[in-house]
Amino acid sequence: MALGKMKKHAKHFVPPKLQITSMMDMFTIILIFLLFSFSNKPETMSLHKDMKLPKSTANLDYKENINLVLSQTTLELGGKVIGTVKDGRIIGLDPKNLKTSTLYERLRSTRESTDKLQGDSNTKQHVLFLCDKRLPFRTINCVVKAAAMAGYPNFQFGVLKK
Amino acid sequence: MSKLGRCRATGGEQTDIDMVPVMNMFLVLIPFLLMSVSFFHIKAINTSVPVLSQSQDGGDKPISEKVTAIVEIEPQGFHVSAISDSVAYEELVKWDARVAREEQAEYPMDQLVAQLTKLKLRYPASDTLIIIPDGTVVYDTIIQAMDVARYYNNDSLFPNVVLSGKVG
Repeated sequence: MALGKMKKHAKHFVPPKLQITSMMDMFTIILIFLLFSFSNKPETMSLHKDMKLPKSTANLDYKENINLVLSQTTLELGGKVIGTVKDGRIIGLDPKNLKTSTLYERLRSTRESTDKLQGDSNTKQHVLFLCDKRLPFRTINCVVKAAAMAGYPNFQFGVLKK
Repeated sequence: MSKLGRCRATGGEQTDIDMVPVMNMFLVLIPFLLMSVSFFHIKAINTSVPVLSQSQDGGDKPISEKVTAIVEIEPQGFHVSAISDSVAYEELVKWDARVAREEQAEYPMDQLVAQLTKLKLRYPASDTLIIIPDGTVVYDTIIQAMDVARYYNNDSLFPNVVLSGKVG
C-alpha cells in the first residue's frame, strides 16, 4: 500500500533543461577574440624561452626568409644550431677569418643554389635576423658581416611590436 | 486578416532553438583558432650592411642637396655627423654634434631626434642613415636609435638604415 501511495504522490519527472545561453555568450566572445588574433602566418620559428627580442614601433611584416637566430647561448640558422655563444663570443666564428665559419659556408651554399634556381644573382634576398636585445654589438657584428660576405647584405631585424 | 495577424491570433507555441549544433561547431572552431593564434607579433626593420659596389655615373642630372647622416653610438653618447657628395665639406662640418649621455643613464633619444630633425629640415631629400655602434653597445639601444631615426611622430626622417661596424 505504501508503494501505491508513493506512486500516487510522485510527480511526473520533467527532464531539466540545460541553460546554455550564458555559455553561448562566453563562446561567442572567445570566438570573436580569437578571430581577431588569428594569424595566417603563425610564428613557426622556435625561440628560446630566455630570449628577449627588442620592442619597436616598426609595422613592417617580415617575409619568408632565411631565419638567423642569435640568442645568449646559441646561433641558429634555419632552426639548426650552428654555433654556441660564450661570454659574448661565438665559438667557431673568428672575427678575423669569417670565411672559415659554418655560418658563412652554409649561407654561401644556400646563396649559390638559389642563384642557380632563379638564374639571377641580383635578386634581393633578406635574412630575418632575430637577436637577443641584451647582446653587445661586437657579437652581432660578426654574424652580420659573415652573412653579408656570403651574399646576404640585406637584413630584416625581427622585433616585437610595441 | 493578414497572415501575421492570423498567426498571432492562433497563439502558436513558443519553440526553443536547438543550440546544441551551434555549440558543437564552437567547440571545434575554438581549439582550431587557439592553435593558430599568435600572442606575440613579430615585425621587421629593413636594414643593410655596407658592401662594395661599382659607382653609378649620375651623368648630367642635377643633383639635389642630399646628405647621409651618421650616428655613432658610443658609451658616452651619440656622435652625429653628415657626409655628402653634393654639399661642401665646410658646410657638413657644422653638423658635427655630440649628444652626451649621463653615466649609467639611458641614451638621450629625444636629443638625437632633435639633431636629426634639423638635418632633415635642411636637406629634405636625404633618406639614408648609417649607424655605427661601439662594440659594447647592446642590440636594444641600436634598435631604439633606429626607431627614432627612421620615423618620428609619423614623419619620415631617415628610413634607409645601414648598420656598420667601426673601422680601425
